[in-house]
Amino acid sequence: MQTTSSSADTDLQADNLRRAAIDKSVKGPVLFLFLNGAFWLMASTILGVLAALKLFAPSFLGDCPVLQYGRLQPTHLNALVYGWGVQAGLGVMLWIMARRSGQELKSGKSVLYVAGVFWNIAVTLGLLSILFGGSTSIEWLEMPKWVWPIMLAAFLCFAWPMTTMFARAFRPEGFMVSTWYILGACFWFPWIFVTANVALHCLPGLGALGAGINAWYVHGVILLFFAPVAIGSAYYFIPKITGQPIASSQLAQMGFWALACLGGWTGMQHYMGGPLQAWMPAIGSLTAVLLLVPVGVVGLNHHLTTLGKHSLVASSPTLRFTFLGALFYPISGVILALISNFTTGPTLQFTNAWYGFQIVSVYGFFSMSIFGAIYYIVPRLTGCEWLSVRLIRNHFWFSTYGITTVVITSLVAGIQQGGDLNHPEMWDQDFYQLVMNTQPYIIARAVAWGLITWSNIWFLVHLMLMVAGLGRRSSAPTLLHHGHDESPLPHGAHA
Amino acid sequence: MSAPSNSFQPDSTDLDRLHSAVTREKEDLQAGREPASMLVMFLGMVVAVIAGGQFSAVSSKQDFGISTAFNYEVGVDPRHGGGAGAAALDPFQTALKKGAGGYAVCGGCHQGNGLGLPGQFPPLAGSEWVLGGTERLIRVVQHGLVGAITVKGQGYNTPGGMQGFGAAMSAGDLANVLTFIRNSWGNEAPMITKEMVEKVRSTEKRATQWTMGELESFAKANVEGVIPAGPGATAAPAAK
Repeated sequence: MQTTSSSADTDLQADNLRRAAIDKSVKGPVLFLFLNGAFWLMASTILGVLAALKLFAPSFLGDCPVLQYGRLQPTHLNALVYGWGVQAGLGVMLWIMARRSGQELKSGKSVLYVAGVFWNIAVTLGLLSILFGGSTSIEWLEMPKWVWPIMLAAFLCFAWPMTTMFARAFRPEGFMVSTWYILGACFWFPWIFVTANVALHCLPGLGALGAGINAWYVHGVILLFFAPVAIGSAYYFIPKITGQPIASSQLAQMGFWALACLGGWTGMQHYMGGPLQAWMPAIGSLTAVLLLVPVGVVGLNHHLTTLGKHSLVASSPTLRFTFLGALFYPISGVILALISNFTTGPTLQFTNAWYGFQIVSVYGFFSMSIFGAIYYIVPRLTGCEWLSVRLIRNHFWFSTYGITTVVITSLVAGIQQGGDLNHPEMWDQDFYQLVMNTQPYIIARAVAWGLITWSNIWFLVHLMLMVAGLGRRSSAPTLLHHGHDESPLPHGAHA
Repeated sequence: MSAPSNSFQPDSTDLDRLHSAVTREKEDLQAGREPASMLVMFLGMVVAVIAGGQFSAVSSKQDFGISTAFNYEVGVDPRHGGGAGAAALDPFQTALKKGAGGYAVCGGCHQGNGLGLPGQFPPLAGSEWVLGGTERLIRVVQHGLVGAITVKGQGYNTPGGMQGFGAAMSAGDLANVLTFIRNSWGNEAPMITKEMVEKVRSTEKRATQWTMGELESFAKANVEGVIPAGPGATAAPAAK
């Protein structure tokens, strides 16, 4: 940072002030989204524990219809997707887009607050409706059908300023990898959201095709919203913290365009062998396997960008969470290919493996990347540093072990369940017994969600203290571990 | 609702500290320009070929109107009892297929070719014990058999004899295995149904193995029972 030329020093100073001004301009809306998102995340994980408990101990919590598995499970997933996922994703998108485009949020901040409030009202009422029996029974769209126009309008209120920021930015070629993805997510989410909702709620007589559209929607939200936001975030923070440029702009372009072209084609293979015309699941299956290309390319690029800087994974909270999230991207891609192809798909179809895929995508991959981004962004917005290394470590390890357990047990349970259902003569057991055989996995799932809940309660408390301005008053970042190589700044420049 | 953007906190006048998080950031750099490795292209092609294989499931039939990518052979319903569509299925073929799996237990002694081992284990192929009365055959497998016996003119006296499998197998599985041994290696005899095995089980409750002499009275007897129409019924000795 100490440069010999005083004009370069002044330039750097001006640049720092400009970035500080950008941070300040988006501070309110971004913190609003993070805080509400973290609240919904905690609610979702608690519901996840309850749903898993109800699955193996149906008499737990009594006969109250509100607290039955059939209502808890969709509430758990909808809180995870809309309460936490989209909301926290929008916060990270807004901050990265503003930073990367070098644009302040000039006006319309109050519109963003209003949109954020309406989004949360819609999610609250929607989830309560599910709990009180108003579920539409459409996966990931269980909330009653009047919430989607509100949510769409709120989303567009956030997408608009991001789009204008991108349009106004100076965009050198190959320099904007993370904002490609974020801009893509701004357009793709409204597209799939409108298509699925209009088709499922407004068109009469869809029949079996409705189920296909629903599966397409779930895959679309994962591949065209959660995946791009998390990849965009990783493409921003990995170079930012390692100080190395993105390894290959060519790989970055391949990964982006392949995802953009393929993401919207997959989904209907969820109903392979079902009453859809055969080309629909066949195209979905082909695309799901072909998606291994962008998945592998992006994974390779992230790996090459991190290469030689792995010690930073131990010390920087941001890089540690982002690294794990980036690691889960190829894993989720492989799981998608496994549940989607015509060889292993028939075994894993309609089993716990499907839940495993949803969780590895939304939690293992997306949420971990977003946690990394939050650990970076929040100190810059609140002007104070994270209070406790111990709380961050606690959050990381409990989340990591918890999510790994949920995903592995769901997959193994899925393989067993699917194999038994397809070949019951090998076991001489009836359907009820096959369901009972998955019980140990469900118990493990309940325990794992318990671990994750523990980590998220502390994450929420930590975040609330930061937003309240009660963080550490220090110029040194909160690092998990001090490396041996001391950088020019006294406490390391990689937070 | 607006953020307190211009309010100064007591200690926030320290510009260095206020912007410390910003000043320690690293510079944004131009992404690497090197072309991607050929290995990446090659692996991408491999994935594309595998992915294309998924599509061949439908495209090879040149018929986009069909409703499944699987080459279903309409045949055995894997559910017990054949499920709701049992009328369309052939219970005899089902029993043969399932019995072939269950025979793995018997094959340890009687061998995969059903010929047994000379001097130790009697054969099943062409055996009058297998092809004769179903009453005797079911009892042998259900309760076991011990002592000297004669099969196809050869004498056998394996120490311990044959144990009973009735306690370890369901009536359906036992019936399937018996139908299988009665219709393999050149054998041809009517199928034994689950109901027949259940009938023997309900009338005979002994816990010890049979001897050849005790079973003499059942040698020609057949258990009463309805045999489903099909090849299993037409192979009845009376019809031959």
